[in-house]
Amino acid sequence: MEIALIGNPNTGKTSLFNNLTGSYEYVGNWSGVTVEKKVGVFKNNIGRLIDLPGVYSLNPLSKDEGVVTSFFLEEPVDRLLNILDASQLERNLHLTIQLLEYEKPALIGLNMVDVAANRGIHIDTEKLSQILGVPVVPVVARNGKGCDRLIEVISTSSNHSKVKKHVFYGKEIEDAISELSIDLIGKTDHSPRWLALQLFEGNEYVKNYLSKLIEPTKLELFISHLESVLNQENKNKKSLANYIYLKRKEVIEKILVASVRKVRTVVPLTEKIDSIVTNRYLGMPIFLICMYLMFMLTFDWLGTPLSDVLDGILTGPVTTGFEKFLVTINASDFIHALIIEGLIAGVGGVLVFVPQIFILFFFISLLEDSGYMARVALVMDRIMESVGLNGKAFIPMMIGFGCNVPGIMAARTIETPRERLMTILLTPLMSCSARLPVYALFVGAFFVGHKALVVLSLYVLGIVVALLLAKIFTKTLLKSETSLFVIELPPYRLPQVQSLWRSTWDKGKGFVRKAGTFIFAGSVFIWLLSYAGPNGLKVDMDDSFLAAIGNLFAPLLEPIGFGTWQAAASLITGFLAKEAIISTMNIIYFVPENASLQGLLSDFYTPLAAYSFMVFILLYIPCLATAATIYKETGSKKWTAFSILYALFIAYVLCLVIYQGGKLFGLV
Amino acid sequence: MFGSFKVGEKGKIINISKVGRMVQRRLLDLGITEGSEVCIKCVMPFGGPVMIESCGQCVGLRLKEARLIEVERV
Repeated sequence: MEIALIGNPNTGKTSLFNNLTGSYEYVGNWSGVTVEKKVGVFKNNIGRLIDLPGVYSLNPLSKDEGVVTSFFLEEPVDRLLNILDASQLERNLHLTIQLLEYEKPALIGLNMVDVAANRGIHIDTEKLSQILGVPVVPVVARNGKGCDRLIEVISTSSNHSKVKKHVFYGKEIEDAISELSIDLIGKTDHSPRWLALQLFEGNEYVKNYLSKLIEPTKLELFISHLESVLNQENKNKKSLANYIYLKRKEVIEKILVASVRKVRTVVPLTEKIDSIVTNRYLGMPIFLICMYLMFMLTFDWLGTPLSDVLDGILTGPVTTGFEKFLVTINASDFIHALIIEGLIAGVGGVLVFVPQIFILFFFISLLEDSGYMARVALVMDRIMESVGLNGKAFIPMMIGFGCNVPGIMAARTIETPRERLMTILLTPLMSCSARLPVYALFVGAFFVGHKALVVLSLYVLGIVVALLLAKIFTKTLLKSETSLFVIELPPYRLPQVQSLWRSTWDKGKGFVRKAGTFIFAGSVFIWLLSYAGPNGLKVDMDDSFLAAIGNLFAPLLEPIGFGTWQAAASLITGFLAKEAIISTMNIIYFVPENASLQGLLSDFYTPLAAYSFMVFILLYIPCLATAATIYKETGSKKWTAFSILYALFIAYVLCLVIYQGGKLFGLV
Repeated sequence: MFGSFKVGEKGKIINISKVGRMVQRRLLDLGITEGSEVCIKCVMPFGGPVMIESCGQCVGLRLKEARLIEVERV
């Protein structure tokens, strides 16, 4: 049994999904678009739950919302589980009405009954269920209250929906629905009434679907005829969509009168917090302080000590363990070198940074779950607007700090195509977690006293470059006036430990998995390149194939401070995955026990060159996975190539300025 | 007009048709339309967005769009 989970944004869909399903069956993509499709298995195995993006209506504005409409038109689904926010029932019911018109068996999970009760809103669920003709189960998704009952109802409720007309849209529209239904007989499995109403509302997806079944010109005529008939009847000219909305609203108001009881109203805590964090003057400083604390914890206070402990384990017991094992099985010199100098150095060098990366992901999840992210978008909108973007673009960028791939995907929530494209192109400039190991290594070697500050400067640099480029792109490549910024600011929620852990793990496991697969294979390959050379195996590293490849590009890098073959070779592998830079460096500068890569680096870089190198890593190229995502999301080879080339150009120019400029000022 | 409202003041929307079509539709999605009671929660500096509240729901939108919404004091 396939059950689709659908509801407005910020209604607790993810929490409910987590509570109803034990684990993900898979996270895949929707056909055609790279939108994450999460499918989970119900705890008692009654079927699979499909998580859909949050929408306000089935008539989409953004690409994200289009996914839901496509799902309803194309994919098979047995049942709909509609989640409602009890404290915002009126607005949520607009979607419910459309879902009921779809005429598939549905049931309602009434979430946040506790929040509603605190605001003095009491809902008679039995009455609501009776009016709507579908089961209504009150739940508190955050702590799982009512979820067992919900699963029980899902598994027992009958498969047949009682088709009930909730809204009478007036004679003209009802006549038009019947007329269109006759044309559709035998042509579609979907409810003709639903199709007709979505068409009248101006749903482009449904219109496309219908124009495959009915002559497009006939459809157009049909709509314009209906519009003119309605306009004759009503003196005040309202659009068809608005007319339908108002009819629904009337019915919803009646439903609310019958099932909702409101008592006292108290000022919720949210408003008190908001008066501080989105305060005129304090908003921006508070945001910067939050960012600063996040970096201090990741790099100084918590992350680095943990990484050091892990590093000690990997270079100590783990390496000696492997050494002993290799000696016992009488491994050849080749195997010994491959495992110790290739794999452990390469993969271990990346795994060391797991604690820092998980701490960073934890904070990003915290920002998302608590409701602060939307406030950040509000606080940042003025700045973003001045460069031709909108505040919402800041959210993909923040997510990009974790990994650019989901960041770029998150740009789908931006409604206007121009702003969305620009956000996609600029998100790779956000310093993702895979770049973090490089910084961690270099700041540890060169900037011990100011670790967090130096790293923060790189993150800020990424943002500043992105904003400047946005301004340039707006003036040149992507000229257009349209911009849209309307954002829902959900009430603050105290994040639950369980859901925080789950979303941190969801984000972080990719890093661990990549270390076990991509970096693992890459390490073997890189090590082989460094082990073999034109003159045979086991050559001196400077005579290896890797050195030969690196030397091709090294002269180009000379003016920006790191014209060594080692730097060039690691930058090339960095295109595959940014972590590969670290594993390559660990292999190239393989250091025997009792010494560290950090100590060795000072022989090859000056602090100025090190900073220039970090800036180059920050900007120079989106990694392979990111480039692939850009291609999927824009559907354009031109823009993908552009995103790679402009990044290379900017990185080179900026590093040139930093390095040569720094030398002029007497820095080394 | 909304532009003359100060933080904490309440009003009722009487005409929203001058606002851009997409913005209008988004506000409608959030349940904000003609007849809705709204309250200004805060105004960001330098002509930044405003935060309005309607039925316990907070929404952020740009000042220039907020100015196009006609509101009467209640």
